[in-house]
Amino acid sequence: MIPWRAALLTSVVLVAAPVCAHETAGKCGGRVTNAGNYGVELVAKGQTVDVCLLDGSEQPVPAAGFKATAILVEGGKPARIALTPADGNRLTGQAQVPLGTAPRGAVQLTAPDGASASGTFN
Amino acid sequence: MMSPITAALRALAMAFALAAGSAYAHEGHDHGAAPPPVSKTIAPRGEAVSSGFELVAVPRDGILSLYLDRIQSGEPVPGATLEIDTPAGTATAQPAAPGVYRLPAPWLNKPGHYDVMVTVTAGSDVDVLPVALTVPDPTALVTAAPKPVSARQQISATVTQAVPALAHGVRNRINRADPVLMAVAGGSFLLSILVVLAVRGRRRVPALALLAVTVTVLLSASAFAHGGEDHDDKAIRGAALIQPAPGTAPTDLAQRLPDGSVFVPKPTQHLLGLRTVMTEIGTFYRTIGLPGRIIPNPNASGVVQSSVGGRLSPPQNGQFPRLGTPVKKGDVLAYVTPPVARVDVSDMRQRQGELDQQIAIVQRRVERYLKLAPSGAVSQVQLEEAQDELKGLRDRRTALDTVRLEPEALVAPVDGVIAEAAAVAGQMANPGAMVFQIVDPKSLWVEALSFDALGGAENASARLADGRTLPLTYRGSGLADRNQAIPVQFAISGDTSGLRVGQFVTVQAATTTELQGLALPRAAVVRSSNGQDVIYEHTGAERYEARQVRVTPLDGNRVLVAAGLGAGKRVVTQGAELLDQVR
Repeated sequence: MIPWRAALLTSVVLVAAPVCAHETAGKCGGRVTNAGNYGVELVAKGQTVDVCLLDGSEQPVPAAGFKATAILVEGGKPARIALTPADGNRLTGQAQVPLGTAPRGAVQLTAPDGASASGTFN
Repeated sequence: MMSPITAALRALAMAFALAAGSAYAHEGHDHGAAPPPVSKTIAPRGEAVSSGFELVAVPRDGILSLYLDRIQSGEPVPGATLEIDTPAGTATAQPAAPGVYRLPAPWLNKPGHYDVMVTVTAGSDVDVLPVALTVPDPTALVTAAPKPVSARQQISATVTQAVPALAHGVRNRINRADPVLMAVAGGSFLLSILVVLAVRGRRRVPALALLAVTVTVLLSASAFAHGGEDHDDKAIRGAALIQPAPGTAPTDLAQRLPDGSVFVPKPTQHLLGLRTVMTEIGTFYRTIGLPGRIIPNPNASGVVQSSVGGRLSPPQNGQFPRLGTPVKKGDVLAYVTPPVARVDVSDMRQRQGELDQQIAIVQRRVERYLKLAPSGAVSQVQLEEAQDELKGLRDRRTALDTVRLEPEALVAPVDGVIAEAAAVAGQMANPGAMVFQIVDPKSLWVEALSFDALGGAENASARLADGRTLPLTYRGSGLADRNQAIPVQFAISGDTSGLRVGQFVTVQAATTTELQGLALPRAAVVRSSNGQDVIYEHTGAERYEARQVRVTPLDGNRVLVAAGLGAGKRVVTQGAELLDQVR
């Protein structure tokens, strides 16, 4: 009866998948949002902006080869931060001005294959 | 060995899994923005929303047009700065019209998927809106167009396409319990019975059976192949459409989509001046509607009546004031000359004669006294008495003359405008008859009849037949019943231009009953073709959906949504009628 269970499992996964798509707390200590097929977790601390890459099931994705740009609004002014891959699934960058702990804005992600995706933080 | 029941169960499970897959595949990856509308007349576009703005980006002919609106009200945002992170670097869009910005984007000529980030700065509001744009491949459309092929290739292609299309069609139709499928199956069954009967009866025409079977199969295949096209977007784009000329983007047209929602592109929204309001639950006072009519302000209006019966004559300028003539307090509007009866005339003649006679006698006496007085023969006292008597007699004579000629002047008691005029030269006016009515058009009142004593009647408004609403101020209500109702008077506190005395109005007066709900402007509710009240909810950047609601009147301007709508929705308050006309 394996195909029967497989079919059931598929249905359950498909039903459950859209439920997990909202902005939530992440493992790196930041906020997670969806960017296309990826999840991005934004951690802002002082001038340092870190973005952790996750896949659809919240598992870390190696950041090598990825590029990202974050535009974050701080004090009514937009700050544009280019992010470069660091260790593991982390991309990092430095902002010109210190940012709050939960800045609003968006992160644009460019995968090694050139596909791009964006996620917003409100 | 698998039992037939197990096999059937597996098939059923697979069918469920397939159905679930198709249902959820759309919503898994895209959140927030609605899926782009699928229509042949809508250009590809991207949209994004933030807490303050709503942005739609339309690439066309190498130019990216950006439409920026406020998310709550839907009004265009002029004078904003839009900095756009494109694959070709950062650029600033130039304003083209209020709320419309353009950016030359040659990189958009290459088909593909693009993600741009738009940083919007409008005054003190700053937001970052990521927009996803997909530029379709124009060559894909051309290659998908039908080309001349050999008959053999065509048949083989038809067969290879027909088999998956057939399976897809059957699945869809099973899902939907399609009547066409039922009809084809039933028809085939009946036809085969007929064939069997014919073959059994005659036992000579197997060719007939072959023919019947072939016809049945062909009919059903064509029916399924047709059904398959409806559900495959690529098939629609490729084959079923008239091929647009290369290089021309499809024009955006406001249209009603198959799901019942209305697609209105941003330029059309700006043209129609659509505005929305965010619904929120509030506490309102129930209002009651009272029949009323406009009356002149009792302190700023007056009537001109003749106190005596007499003949009307115009004032000095020779013209009676006509309707609508502005008059000042104290202006003479007409004269009334009381007629003198025949018996009075003879009486007066007699009196005149007597007076004339007496005057002549006294006159002579005065002259005589004047001569004698210096010599002391007549005392000074006697002379003065005679002179006084003469003066008195002359006064009486003069009064008798003028009383016949002196008409009564009818003067305006207040400033205002002639509202009613009944004066005709030479007309005999009865004493007490109204000749003119003067009304101050800037100070009008409304008198309504209420069946209950109004508690919180301080907050009231009047609605005219043409939909205009007038704010009212409560002035007082009577204690004496009139037609079993209490007259309540209100002063019109707003602009009174165009109002007439005696015009009927519906007064909406607030009562002390509190109501909770969503208040919407009356213009937001439109009557649909089936007679139901609907409002239009702004669900996506360019989508509006009709929602059936039950409304109760709240006041002259607003209605209360009793059912059918929740809080936090954007509802069209301006232009809903125009939206309802979109087909």
